[in-house]
Amino acid sequence: MTAIELRGVTKEFPGVTAVSDLDLTVEEGEVYGFLGPNGAGKSTTIDMVLDLVRPTEGTVTVLGRDATADSVEIRKRTGVLPDGFSVYERLSGRRHVEFAIESKEANVEPESVLERVGLLEDADRKAGGYSKGMRQRLALAMALVGEPDLLILDEPSSGLDPAGVKDMREIVSAEADRGATVFFSSHVLAQVEAVCDRVGILRAGELVAEDSIEGLRDAVGDGETLEVTVDDATDAVVDAVRAVDGVSRVDRDGDALLVSCDPGVKTRVIAAAEDAGAVVDDFHTEEASLEDLFLAYTEGEAPGRSGDASSANGSGDDPDPAGSEEVER
Amino acid sequence: MSLLAVANKDFQDTVRSRGMALLVALFSLLVAVFAYVVRPQGQADQFATELLLSAFVGPVLVTGLVPLVGVVVGYNAVSGERESGSLKLLLSLPHSRADVVFGKVVGRGAAMALATFAGFLLPALVLIVTPVTFNAGSFLGYTVFAAALGVVFVAIAVGCSAAVATRQRALIAGIGVYALFVLLWGLFTGRVVGAFSGPIEALPVSMTQIRTFLDAANPTSGIELLANAFLGDQLFAGDSLNQQVSAVAMLVFWTLAPPLAGLLKFDRDDL
Repeated sequence: MTAIELRGVTKEFPGVTAVSDLDLTVEEGEVYGFLGPNGAGKSTTIDMVLDLVRPTEGTVTVLGRDATADSVEIRKRTGVLPDGFSVYERLSGRRHVEFAIESKEANVEPESVLERVGLLEDADRKAGGYSKGMRQRLALAMALVGEPDLLILDEPSSGLDPAGVKDMREIVSAEADRGATVFFSSHVLAQVEAVCDRVGILRAGELVAEDSIEGLRDAVGDGETLEVTVDDATDAVVDAVRAVDGVSRVDRDGDALLVSCDPGVKTRVIAAAEDAGAVVDDFHTEEASLEDLFLAYTEGEAPGRSGDASSANGSGDDPDPAGSEEVER
Repeated sequence: MSLLAVANKDFQDTVRSRGMALLVALFSLLVAVFAYVVRPQGQADQFATELLLSAFVGPVLVTGLVPLVGVVVGYNAVSGERESGSLKLLLSLPHSRADVVFGKVVGRGAAMALATFAGFLLPALVLIVTPVTFNAGSFLGYTVFAAALGVVFVAIAVGCSAAVATRQRALIAGIGVYALFVLLWGLFTGRVVGAFSGPIEALPVSMTQIRTFLDAANPTSGIELLANAFLGDQLFAGDSLNQQVSAVAMLVFWTLAPPLAGLLKFDRDDL
């Protein structure tokens, strides 16, 4: 049985198509990362899975049941960490978890769940006084109540500090080991890479890629980007480098050359630049990172180009792109 | 049960609000002020409980203030959660939208009733211990009617709250309901009856019967009718029996129909 199945799902809001003819399958027991930039339609898709929003066209099946007709039955077996939620300001953290336990008719002590997410010490405080990260932990605790078969986490690490992100990752892994299906959305790649069996990338309401992380990396190829800093990046230097066998692309960025090339031709690239009269100050290579991959798919550029990915992604919440290596001479 | 879990959560959330404490204080203060006004003068030690209720507490507190408070307690029940995002947390748990709407009616209705009782009882306790003859039975019985009226208006306001997307619209709708039932009912129904006087004459009912029905159809006057019958020892007896029965029927109607209508809209909405 599949945990989540969307067939030909379209959702139109007045004036905008949020999701367009989407087919998506999440198998039982897998950890599925649902990626895409903000506004790609991730939350709308999750809202349809949870019956907060009804599809304009197509069918949504969750745990083998119709998402709209059997929504309550589905939610009895599902734990949800929603995006953009707010807590009941006047109720304590413990009361929130008790409410989830009553609602799911689960047989569990609130303390054990609160301890698991690291909120036990603050359990009797009013949730209105919680930080963003604590609210996120609280909603996760509510989602974990009753050992759900399916966990749906919408941007789970938003507002969490690095320790919180690590805790979240460990909980996701533990739930997956228990046998739960985990479906989570994110616009931050590093988290997805660490825990997901499979990822789907959504762009403007359409699934543009769906594969394992390895598969996606293979699709991008072994291409590397070589960044060569020279004293003066003249046209002659660029042309000379571009003429080297195995170089697919050269971009100029000030005094630096961004060279997409086969792994074996690095030294020839350096030599060509020097032969053309440039003095090479520095160079380093970068393996095509997930960031590049992500941007390639979500911004419609050719996969494998590194370009200015790192500067375009300076939001601060991303660790260094996975797999980058630096070689200095 | 899902509805009760929602009701219980909502009750706890509502009674913890600062507004609730304020409400109890306001009720207590007003009842105390009225009690002071009708206090026994000179040699008399008979406290005019019925006078206090029917001439002061009734018109001002019960028919005027309680419906307004009901609207205020109910209007943000669903729309407020929808606007803030806590509805997402609520609906991530296995509750149907019907459970949400009627759970809110029960939870907030209970909070409203509690506030009414607490607000009326504090002054009553003072009256009971002071050396005057105070008809505690009438007073407490009357409180039940006041609380019932509050619950009806909570239900109407929750219905409005479920039907609209924002708190602001729910408040406007709620105030509209208050204005209709409390301030403009006579004027409004008078106009309607006037406008349709032709067709009405063709019906096998008299103008008086129509007016009597319209009077009982308004929850505020319905409660007034029942409460006054209670104070006059004529509850479900006497000349106005039929009217009392229709008043009760209409109160039940107003408690159930607005949330149901709100639910029909809420159930179809994308949240």
